[in-house]
Amino acid sequence: MMETTLLAAQTVPGVAAGAGMDLVAPMAGVTLAHYLFVSAAMFALGLVGFLVRRNLIVMFLCTELMFQAAGIAMIAFARYHLEMSGQTFVIFVLTVAAAEAALALALVVLLFRMRDSLSSEAWQELKG
Amino acid sequence: MHTRSGVNAVELLVNPFLLYGAIALGGIGVCVALPRRGVNPQILGASLAAIAGLVVIGALSLSAPDALPNLHFYVFAAIALGSALRVITHPRPVYAALYFILVVLSSAGLYLLLSAEFMAFALIIIYAGAILITYLFVIMLATQSPTEDRVDVLADYDVAAREPVLATGASFVLLAVLTTLFFSGVNQLPQPRDAGAREALMAEMPRRVESAMRRADTLAAGESLVFLEETPWALDLDHEARTVMVQRADGVVEARALPGDLRLRNVESLAFNFLNEHPATIEIAGVILLMAMLGATVLSRRQVEVDEDLKAQQAASLRLGRAMPKGDAGAAPSPGAARAGGLPGGRFTSSGGGGGGDRGGEGARP
Repeated sequence: MMETTLLAAQTVPGVAAGAGMDLVAPMAGVTLAHYLFVSAAMFALGLVGFLVRRNLIVMFLCTELMFQAAGIAMIAFARYHLEMSGQTFVIFVLTVAAAEAALALALVVLLFRMRDSLSSEAWQELKG
Repeated sequence: MHTRSGVNAVELLVNPFLLYGAIALGGIGVCVALPRRGVNPQILGASLAAIAGLVVIGALSLSAPDALPNLHFYVFAAIALGSALRVITHPRPVYAALYFILVVLSSAGLYLLLSAEFMAFALIIIYAGAILITYLFVIMLATQSPTEDRVDVLADYDVAAREPVLATGASFVLLAVLTTLFFSGVNQLPQPRDAGAREALMAEMPRRVESAMRRADTLAAGESLVFLEETPWALDLDHEARTVMVQRADGVVEARALPGDLRLRNVESLAFNFLNEHPATIEIAGVILLMAMLGATVLSRRQVEVDEDLKAQQAASLRLGRAMPKGDAGAAPSPGAARAGGLPGGRFTSSGGGGGGDRGGEGARP
């Protein structure tokens, strides 16, 4: 039971044992649900943080939290389908997160120099 | 087998009294735990949210005791969600960033459980090693330094949350809908595909097959592997029977079994998927990173121009032999400043020497 989702290769029932083909066992649907719940809860926490916090840096930190949640969901689905494209997309998510961090932090430093404050309410006139 | 238990789980979870009740409890907990002025019952809120999470995960586990996740899953999930809560509730940004590192580390643990080893370590290296350090640098750069009268005061915008009830309500309604969709949709997914097709990629790694066979002593010194004629880079390999064609020293070609431990590793299958099936990904990622680099450079350049102007101004004023617009001349060790205030500087050092002499005399007197 411990190894259901671990790295160990297991014989899948239904594949002829004589063929000598043992695959990594596909995850049971309920186990996928566990990971998806963690991902969804983390996404919701990140969303709460983005809406609630007034510090620009912490707001961007909360978007990174949402990126993390998306990554967990993609890796879980990749494992469930035994399909590597999910992991490829996580590489892409990491790229976008890095680009976002670089741009957002440059922007935050610029804004901080202008208003001497990290508060998002210092830029309220931007809402037009 | 797991479809039946999955249906039970869905029945249990879509039952609004359990799932929606737990999510509402979690929402109340998060709302209570958010930073606010005055009394701040963060521990109470965190416990409420933890109870809600335990109820949902426990219901999931109890509904299908034959398909439990690994024990480590519970540890990593608890650390990840707990630190995620701390990221959004901690009033100090530096601590929030440090807790986010904890989220990243436990997510890497979850990746490992999902047998995505490469991504787990890439996550730690890129996120915890690079992105979060940049965040910490910026947080420390962009924080008001404490003054004499207020040493350890939080910034006003960090103390209190904005619209906590509305934001938590909206987010947890989203969470409820999302989980309902997840759990009702998951069991209608098609069964996982046969992974054997992926093992066929082994034919494109002749050097690995050869070294594994030589290690297993199934390939002698004079023998070599046979390549296909139409695709000269791929081996003549049957992944279902797990055999490969081998040319013996006397020229006879025969099928030989592959070693049992020869498998496609995570990095290899990821690389095949990344470069074979999504060849444009790396280009797009490169363009995105280039644009981000250009953007960051352009954004931070404006301030540098101002500094350059200031420097040019200062240099011009120094060349003219005038005092600098700001600051005292004694503090600037440039030749112009020394020339402008030569006499006061000399007097300062001589008086300093005199003071030292006085102190020495005092020391000698008793």
